[in-house]
Amino acid sequence: MVPTYIREKEDDMPKAPTASAVTLSRRTVIALTANAATLALTPLGALAQGGGAWSRVDEALAIVGDADPIAEGVVLDLPAVSEDGSTVPLGVSVDRPMQQGEFVKAIHIIAPGNPYPLIATFNFTELSGRPEVETRVRLNESQTVIALVELSSGAMLVGERDVRVTVSGCLARADTYDTANLFTTRVRVPESLAAGESGEVLTMINHPQESGLRESMDGGLVPKRLIERMDVTLDGEPVFSADLHRSVSSNPYIKFFMTPQSGGTLDFTWTEDTGETAHESAELAV
Amino acid sequence: MPPDQLVLWAGLVIGLAFGICGQISGFCLMSGLRGWWVTGDGRKVRAFALALAVAIVGSQMLEAAGLVAFSSSIYVQPSFSLVLTVLGGALFGFGMVMSNGCGARALVLLGNGNLRSFLVLVCLGIAAYIMLSGLLAPVRLALGQWLSVTPPGGGSTIGLLATAGLDPVLGRWLLVGILAAGLAAFCLLDPRFRTDPIAVGSGIVIGLLVPAGWYATGVLGADDFDPAPLVSLTFVAPIGDTLQYAMLSTGTRLSFGVVVVIGIFVGSLLTALMTRRARLEGFTRARSMLRYMGGGALMGTGGAMALGCSIGQGLTGLSTLAVASFLAVVGILGGAALALRGPLRLAPPEP
Repeated sequence: MVPTYIREKEDDMPKAPTASAVTLSRRTVIALTANAATLALTPLGALAQGGGAWSRVDEALAIVGDADPIAEGVVLDLPAVSEDGSTVPLGVSVDRPMQQGEFVKAIHIIAPGNPYPLIATFNFTELSGRPEVETRVRLNESQTVIALVELSSGAMLVGERDVRVTVSGCLARADTYDTANLFTTRVRVPESLAAGESGEVLTMINHPQESGLRESMDGGLVPKRLIERMDVTLDGEPVFSADLHRSVSSNPYIKFFMTPQSGGTLDFTWTEDTGETAHESAELAV
Repeated sequence: MPPDQLVLWAGLVIGLAFGICGQISGFCLMSGLRGWWVTGDGRKVRAFALALAVAIVGSQMLEAAGLVAFSSSIYVQPSFSLVLTVLGGALFGFGMVMSNGCGARALVLLGNGNLRSFLVLVCLGIAAYIMLSGLLAPVRLALGQWLSVTPPGGGSTIGLLATAGLDPVLGRWLLVGILAAGLAAFCLLDPRFRTDPIAVGSGIVIGLLVPAGWYATGVLGADDFDPAPLVSLTFVAPIGDTLQYAMLSTGTRLSFGVVVVIGIFVGSLLTALMTRRARLEGFTRARSMLRYMGGGALMGTGGAMALGCSIGQGLTGLSTLAVASFLAVVGILGGAALALRGPLRLAPPEP
């Protein structure tokens, strides 16, 4: 069900150009909508949406589809300047009152300046509680990072943040990685939680997360090798999952929250693009 | 307390201790070398040598106990450029004579009201960032390709001896024993140094602060999911980081190096106020201003190239027994020698 206040906002926007422009490209639609909005003297906030960086990125447009993202409540936490683009700490949280029964379904992170802009998609459930996630990403250059938030109602939120990336102080990197510790996993779950209380879960797996784009010493490319997915379940019930792509830093690290009503066994599964998997489980007392 | 905050508090304490000790004793490699080579007072250079001996023994004990692994520090590099390491060290060494003291000494002097050091610090910090990530970063990266060497054994002198067939445990203690005994003999056989409690004390305290820094970042900061980078005392990038943090703190995180820099200034300032040494001092001649600014810029540029200063490579780097640190220190001493007694000899500074 669409929450009322979002519907009000949509009602402010003239529907006519969108409805009649089914065959037009998305970009034109946005331009038309923005122009029409100016004529209708809608609040400035609505105008700003049309000019967001996301509207010029194909990967973002593919996710947005027919929705009309609202630039509100998405907090992207990134350093303003990063000296090491290979591991930039990134946090996203959604700070916006939710309607009854409405929750954040997914958060997509997009870095338009990277060769493969889609960094990761984090999928939440009603068990995840707080819509907040933290990870480390690779950023190729200075750019505007975009977070698209899908709500269970079908509405969409967007957040953007500028990051400056400078050359790294330490460029020496080995071509080979420690194969002995590959697939070693680590998780940290709360010792105990009250029913309905939210607690943070930290996860990490030792993995090179080879993008397939890195040059080796002999000039060739190091073959692609990625952890593509992480799934978390509580007694078989899905809690959280993540689709990871080439721009997630090596040793993928993810922090998320969960608000369980009852205790059980948390199962973590990481899946590599070769199909190989790694498992870890932890008991959670509620 | 979460590990990241623990590291910062430890850094502040280490900085305060350095500031207090530096203000009381005047600990400085540059003054030490000038005294030893020019004016005939070898006490300060021996204080530095004693600090190095203590730093090596303490740091190697930490690594032997399995608490830290120096292969993850920036000093133990599997391959490095001779140009950056040696030339960078030499530029730093020359610069520290031009501006009459290295970066750490300038921080201590700023605490007693020496405004000349303020100018040196600003020039040093900006020059370091120009070389690390700014206008000259492409030059640094290009130079990094020249005369690149890959010493066998992964960049550590212990590893180097191990490839020659020496057992790593035996190799470590043999190296530590020879270096520490040699340095201790150099210091303690001199009666003037032995009978100067402040000089002896400063050597021991500063020397202990190096392993304390390793312990703070490597043990206190050892979070499974977000380990702190393994660093200890160093003053080129951190002085630049401090300037940057002052300007961009809403978008950057506080780091160990920055709190050490702040701690040194505060520790030195409090000591100077309590001992009534604080006095504002500036320049009297425009030419000396140019000389100090040039010295600061050379220290920043050279320190960024060599990955460290007289403390960063001279104490902290050497305490890891990294091959690159020995070469950087040769560069620093060479640059200082050129400026103190070589053909490029500089006149004593007249502020």
